[in-house]
Amino acid sequence: MRRRPGPDSQATGVLGRTRPGSRSAAGVLGRMGPGFWAAAGWIALVLLAAVLADVLPLARYDETLAGPPRSGPSAAHPFGTDGLGRDVLSRVVHGARVSLGVGVGAVLLGLGIGAPLGILAGYRRRAADTVIMAVNDVAQAFPALVFALAVVAFAGANLRNVLIVLGVLGVPSWVRLVRGATLTYAEREFVLAARVLGARDRRILWREIVPNVAVPAASYAFIGMAVVVVAEGGLAFLGLSVQAPTPTWGGLINEGRTLLETAPHVVLAPSLVMFLTVLSFNLVGDRLRALTDVRESGLEPVREAGAAPLPSAPHEVRAGCLLQAEDLRTHLVTPRGVVRAVDGVSFTLERGRTLAVVGESGSGKSMLIRSILGLLPGSSVRGGHVYLSGDDLTARTPAEMRSVLGPRLGTVFQDPMTALNPVRTIGTQVTEPLRVHLRMGRRQARAEAARLLASVGIPDPERMLRRYPHQLSGGMRQRVTIAMALSCGPDVLFADEPTTALDVTVQDQVLRLLHRLREERDMAMVLVSHDLSLVARWADEVIVMYAGKVVERGPAAEVFARPRMPYTEALLRAAPRLSDPVHHRLSVIPGRPPDLADLPPGCAFQPRCPYAEDRCAREAPPLTGSYACWYPLDEVVVEGADSRGR
Amino acid sequence: MAGSGSAHLRPRDEVLLRVEDLVVEFPAGRGRTVRAVSGVSFDLARSETLGIVGESGCGKSSAARALVQLPPPRSGSVRLDGLELTALRGEALRRTRRRLQMIFQDPISSLNPRRRVREIVEEGPRVWDLPGDRVDEVLEAVGLDPRAAAVRRPHEFSGGQCQRISIARALVLDPEVVICDEPVSALDVSVQAQILGLLEDLKERYRLTLVFIAHDLAVVKNVSDRIMVMYLGKVCELAPSAELISAPAHPYTRALIASIPGGGPDLPPAGTLISGEPPSPVDPPSGCRFRTRCPRAGARCASEEPQIRQVGEDHWLACHYPTDSR
Ligand SMILES: Nc1ncnc2c1ncn2[C@@H]1O[C@H](COP(=O)(O)OP(=O)(O)OP(=O)(O)O)[C@@H](O)[C@H]1O
Ligand code: SF4
Ligand code: SF4
Ligand SMILES: [Mg+2]
Repeated sequence: MRRRPGPDSQATGVLGRTRPGSRSAAGVLGRMGPGFWAAAGWIALVLLAAVLADVLPLARYDETLAGPPRSGPSAAHPFGTDGLGRDVLSRVVHGARVSLGVGVGAVLLGLGIGAPLGILAGYRRRAADTVIMAVNDVAQAFPALVFALAVVAFAGANLRNVLIVLGVLGVPSWVRLVRGATLTYAEREFVLAARVLGARDRRILWREIVPNVAVPAASYAFIGMAVVVVAEGGLAFLGLSVQAPTPTWGGLINEGRTLLETAPHVVLAPSLVMFLTVLSFNLVGDRLRALTDVRESGLEPVREAGAAPLPSAPHEVRAGCLLQAEDLRTHLVTPRGVVRAVDGVSFTLERGRTLAVVGESGSGKSMLIRSILGLLPGSSVRGGHVYLSGDDLTARTPAEMRSVLGPRLGTVFQDPMTALNPVRTIGTQVTEPLRVHLRMGRRQARAEAARLLASVGIPDPERMLRRYPHQLSGGMRQRVTIAMALSCGPDVLFADEPTTALDVTVQDQVLRLLHRLREERDMAMVLVSHDLSLVARWADEVIVMYAGKVVERGPAAEVFARPRMPYTEALLRAAPRLSDPVHHRLSVIPGRPPDLADLPPGCAFQPRCPYAEDRCAREAPPLTGSYACWYPLDEVVVEGADSRGR
Repeated sequence: MAGSGSAHLRPRDEVLLRVEDLVVEFPAGRGRTVRAVSGVSFDLARSETLGIVGESGCGKSSAARALVQLPPPRSGSVRLDGLELTALRGEALRRTRRRLQMIFQDPISSLNPRRRVREIVEEGPRVWDLPGDRVDEVLEAVGLDPRAAAVRRPHEFSGGQCQRISIARALVLDPEVVICDEPVSALDVSVQAQILGLLEDLKERYRLTLVFIAHDLAVVKNVSDRIMVMYLGKVCELAPSAELISAPAHPYTRALIASIPGGGPDLPPAGTLISGEPPSPVDPPSGCRFRTRCPRAGARCASEEPQIRQVGEDHWLACHYPTDSR
């Protein structure tokens, strides 16, 4: 199937397409934020202190009466002394040896046993997977803490036993995590490609899978250490960890318990250090996980926008016009700079007409629709105006928009699955807008829903109402979302790549349906598509977008037969047609669309334009009449493949 | 069987790849089976491009993967230059891999995000202990700068460039046959045109034999010498590209062409040529698998599966009541 950025991932398309020159791991680490570095710094500090405990200028941890018993923090004893006059700081630092030692050791042990099993299960699948996961499930169902208590009580409470028990207890989670990560990557095509190249399994595991599993594993290791440190603290508190006089954090808290009233610092100091350490482990683990997410999607986290709405030029509001967009702008604030996703789009649309928006992915088509509907991400700034029958939609709050979305503006998106809730029946979902917006009763809404489904060509609508989205084919699901979009009788229907995810034969059926409904209901339609032949077939008017701007507009037949703007012409000639001869050379547009955060000066198409002159790189051509170009193509009628403009 | 038979196969010594009666099935849970490919046969002469079209789920990708034995087909024969691949296992199969390479649909997921581009392309020679001197050459042939490839990772490239990397990886081993599974479906029109042009150039330069799979008939026509139309795991029609488009005889091929906006000016509207949606491959219709959507279907279509037969010079068809569109 054709996979293209969907409506919801359009933001990804806009941002992801324009990849920065290099996004090294260091670059990403640099953007992890101060919290990450503070936490990592704390962990490093505690680790260092634990390793160097013997050479640090500290009192000996077991030296009694190093200071007056139960004395509070002082210059000589920054954390004070305990009931026997021992230095609490020294005891906390030495305690870190045991606590962190157990933490790191147990995690490495769990990883050492769990990771190979998880990789084996995830990569080999079949019998290996079944056996390993069955055993794993049983192990996970075991009452872990009871097991730990029993073993330590039986085998003796010492460092080795505690470490082994906590390490082994972590194995099932490791197996599960590593298996899951392996599975995601083992199904990727690059693993298949490696096998097609003839690589052996061992090589594939080391080269293709392990590096990818490493990052989630590292993230989980930190979180695992936090868990182990807490668990060790619990055991120590019960006296089931390393025995006195060797200090551990849990042991220190346990000892200090009796002094809580007279000398609370004896409990507070180790508690605070333990709390900070556990917090830091968790924080570092979480941030590392975020690191994988960012690399996966290519989408950078968007920042909160602080800017005021963009100013807009003076214009005339046409009261008779159904939908009017005036100088609409949407800029997204990203760490790389301002992405001009929609940059000054204006159009008008009357009842009974279809306006098509065409352009390559990332040209701002979906963002334009979202700007009109007011469904924008938090990091965006909008400017310009949208008028629905003369009423300014851009002046409305999101709450006020809700009474327009549905009753007056209907939407159909590329992926029907994202528009439908998978756990609710079709009936509940189709009746909901009827009940909310039109205040229908249960029965009436249900009858109306059945009528709607029938009107979009769904056979046996009564039965369909009781089904769940996953029980329907893609084409049927898209019909359901169309029925939902139409349920409140909208004036304008927005269809963003409504058939891109569907089969060709079903595509034709769905477009026919949309067209028929538009006529029957005297609606207007905004049809977004990358498919020029589809647009030529179904649209009355078209706007061609490039880098967030309208570069050409006019009646669809006119624009496709006589493109004036070089980009429109180039798009038409790049698309293969059935009528072209076999092995026909398509003309190629060199280069690729510009980075929307870093547009070239002058005409945005200039670096790729075969007709560009000096002026194009200096001044941006305005949209005058039907095109934005300094040197438009001659008005020569071009037919089919012979669209040679000049 | 529906749309089966191997009458259309050419003599063995004329073809490089010969696929006979390929069957691919997957367990679908509760003891049921997805019949992804059911008795498909086709062949490729050296330096030929065979296009395979069909809608989602018709078994195009499953067939492609069965060719490289990942996973091996349930039954049937895949012969590369006379060598029966389905009979090979382990090391013997691995040794044939250099000759048969593949390019995938999703440019992002077909490249390991943690490796540098050059390492990705170098992987083939490393696996085979070959000198890496072809690496720079193929990188340049697909239009990538070898110096940039040495330091960058896939996420720093656009979708079109990622597809170029995949192509370079497939070509570096100097394969005889390259299977392209929807190589341009995820790309924009302008990038698609670049990649299609590139494939044609490389085909000439390296004398490649291509299997080109796509759902877009116009794209397939652009690069293919012959086109095979598939429906629900079966072959419908096979003909030279121009003839298939200008004189489609199978009801499904006609519907497919008529469904493309501006596609078949001489055909009746698609609405009269096809109805409903594809049935589940778990429980395909008896006889001809297209009969539930075919306006010409008769009683014979439910009881008897049409066999592939010749209807013109190198034009083959599996239908009881085809249209004579000449
Ligand atoms: N690993 C699998 N397990 C179970 N079923 C599968 C598997 N792979 C494919 N199928 C099923 O086999 C049938 C054919 O799938 P295939 O991927 O070959 O179709 P396709 O023509 O390539 O479709 P698309 O155009 O969507 O890629 C489909 O019904 C699909 O759901
Ligand atoms: S303004 Fe210049 S660069 Fe831009 S499209 Fe027109 S001719 Fe080309
Ligand atoms: S006429 Fe019969 S055999 Fe031919 S495609 Fe239709 S159903 Fe199949
Ligand atoms: Mg496929």
